[in-house]
Amino acid sequence: MRSTKIKVGVVGAAVCAFTLMLAGWATGAQTAAAPVGSGKASATKSICGLGTGKKATGRPIKLGGIAMLIPGVDFTTIGKVAKAYFDCVNDNGGIRGRPIQYVLYNEQLNPAQQASLARKLVESDKVVGIVGNTSFTECGTNWKYYRSKGYTVIGAGVQAECFGTPTFVETNMGPRYSNIGAAQALVRAGAKSIVVASPSTIAAYADGGALKVAERAGLPNRSFPVTLPVTDANTIIRQLYQAAGEGGGIILDFTPDTAPALMKAAIAQGLVDKVKWGSSTPIANTFMAGQFPEFDGKLFVNSEFGLLDASQGPDTRLMLAVLKRYTKIDPQAFAQMGFMAGKFATQALLNVKGAVTAKSYNAAVRGLKNVKTDMLCKPWYVGNNLPYHIPNNWDITVDYRDGKVVLKEKCFAIAAVDQELVRTRVWEKRFNLNTAK
Amino acid sequence: MDSVVAFAVFGVDWEFIKPYIVLGLALGGVYALSGVGIVVLYQATGVLNLAFGAIGAAGALIAYWMINHTSWPHWLAYVTCVAFGGVVNLAYGLLFGPAFAARDPLVKMMGTLGLALILLGLMAWRAPVGGAFARFLPLPSSSHTFTLFGAFVNWTQVIALAFAVGLTLWTTLFLKYTNLGTAYRAIANDREITATLGVPVRRVEASAWFGSGLVAGAAGLLLPDLITSLDYAALTFLVIAALAAALIGRLTSLWATLLGGLAVGLAQAIFAPYESITRYRSAAPFVLAILALLWLSRHRVVTITRTAR
Repeated sequence: MRSTKIKVGVVGAAVCAFTLMLAGWATGAQTAAAPVGSGKASATKSICGLGTGKKATGRPIKLGGIAMLIPGVDFTTIGKVAKAYFDCVNDNGGIRGRPIQYVLYNEQLNPAQQASLARKLVESDKVVGIVGNTSFTECGTNWKYYRSKGYTVIGAGVQAECFGTPTFVETNMGPRYSNIGAAQALVRAGAKSIVVASPSTIAAYADGGALKVAERAGLPNRSFPVTLPVTDANTIIRQLYQAAGEGGGIILDFTPDTAPALMKAAIAQGLVDKVKWGSSTPIANTFMAGQFPEFDGKLFVNSEFGLLDASQGPDTRLMLAVLKRYTKIDPQAFAQMGFMAGKFATQALLNVKGAVTAKSYNAAVRGLKNVKTDMLCKPWYVGNNLPYHIPNNWDITVDYRDGKVVLKEKCFAIAAVDQELVRTRVWEKRFNLNTAK
Repeated sequence: MDSVVAFAVFGVDWEFIKPYIVLGLALGGVYALSGVGIVVLYQATGVLNLAFGAIGAAGALIAYWMINHTSWPHWLAYVTCVAFGGVVNLAYGLLFGPAFAARDPLVKMMGTLGLALILLGLMAWRAPVGGAFARFLPLPSSSHTFTLFGAFVNWTQVIALAFAVGLTLWTTLFLKYTNLGTAYRAIANDREITATLGVPVRRVEASAWFGSGLVAGAAGLLLPDLITSLDYAALTFLVIAALAAALIGRLTSLWATLLGGLAVGLAQAIFAPYESITRYRSAAPFVLAILALLWLSRHRVVTITRTAR
């Protein structure tokens, strides 16, 4: 009888110990793997949406986007990172319990395809908002259609219509303004000329502002449209060098799909030290910095966004965590664009009072202003009833050093060589769009 | 002196253009060797292989993967790249060659377009472009350079040009002095009669598919270094310049193909500094092919017959 009691006691103790171990393991697992983006937002911590750490299970809210994918240029990264942010929001309570369902379509620089995809999103998929669009020409194709349906698109822009129509509000400033920033940096560095090379599809728009900066500085200048994909980088880079001359400035306005071929050619042709090299934003990433140590300390890359370093601030830290948890995408400028598109769209959704519809969401988008993020020099905004939007118009200049992207020049205002930028700055002051401290 | 006069017409001096000639010859060398590979296959099988560039690009991506994701020696990656071209081309030839043998040349050509599209799809799936990422396939020879006419020349460029000339010479001798070469020429004249004479036509054609594929693989290995990027789309569409070279050789003459390839490379490079025509450089292969075909057929007599109704 006694031995039976002992046996029961031992078994009971073992069960208790096992239960305690299980409880400990489970509790430990919970604390060790707190969901990315969960917790309470503060000045030093950014969260995904509500940050509850609980999966959203309600009826989905549909958002959609269109991204260009052609040989030599892949813009789908922006939409993919926006989706990653939405996934993080969905793992943190969604929009008051409702998950965001995001659909991203690819287009091949085809206006008919762009138009049909826009109609599919709005009329068939019935998305309440368009987010993450990036293309060489989609803004021009669809801006009137989106306006007729009352949609305001948060994306990343390239062509003039992305920054010159009421429909689009971009997280970036696009190649024209980024090239202006690169030209300003080259002029400050004493370049004797300015030569800008861009994809032929966008060169007329993208290069014009930088050439105006050169003209104002009294420097010879020239635009070089380049047909993609590049098959003769050596020839192109020699052309650019001959146009710029010794001590001149060359601005490469290409994505990391194309720029490396030209940079390799510059190394192969022994031209790295013969001119000053500028670039628009896309090559400001650690992969490129690691690939091109020959350019260390010799680049003037205009960066529309903050450094891709965790010390930059809470949004950058959250983006790095989101990329790691939800994607296989390396930290890069396109990821910053996608993260901000996702964050701003989520902010608009959370601002909606009552039912989330296309009308209420897009009204909330238009109501966004003074949205702070450490990824930009100044707060971001949309602003009601503006005829166009250029909310990102202050930049930094970065360089490569020991495989990293490092700061070369702090935030500076992009030169207002275009009337659009002059008016934008007037509106910013008049309507307090980005004046919050 | 003649050169100076010729270039002075366009307002650019000889000194200015010399580096472009060096660059153009290097690129033209690869167009030429690709063109020779295409012509040899066409001669033996009647197939104009549009998948030539895609096969080379796929081989280059495999070599890239081996170099960057395994600890295998680099030479093995280079050999695999070349061998991949031979094996894929041979497999296509064995599988589809007999089925297409009696079909129209256009149908045969469209079959290879299918192969090119399949390979492009596979490459886009397994090795997508985009984001912050770019691929390179530098060869050891590209780190050794010298200066020629003001342009930095690396040994990959020299090898490309020498390989093109060497391949053309070797293929010419091979066709003339070996039994297999004689069989190629016989098949080119008449496949059916050659078969009735006891020549193992399918085996001979298979060897042509394999040999041409090896050349595609070699071009795929050299080109990423020459164009300083492993962009599979760019590599695939370089077949256009190689086809232009082959057309300049009227799909029969290896030496004319060699010269055609060099001319296409040169034209693309030396048009570059002329602002008025630089944007039309990409049309150079087509323009040269059309001009060559018009020139070569200038003595042909066109016979027009009228039939009574």
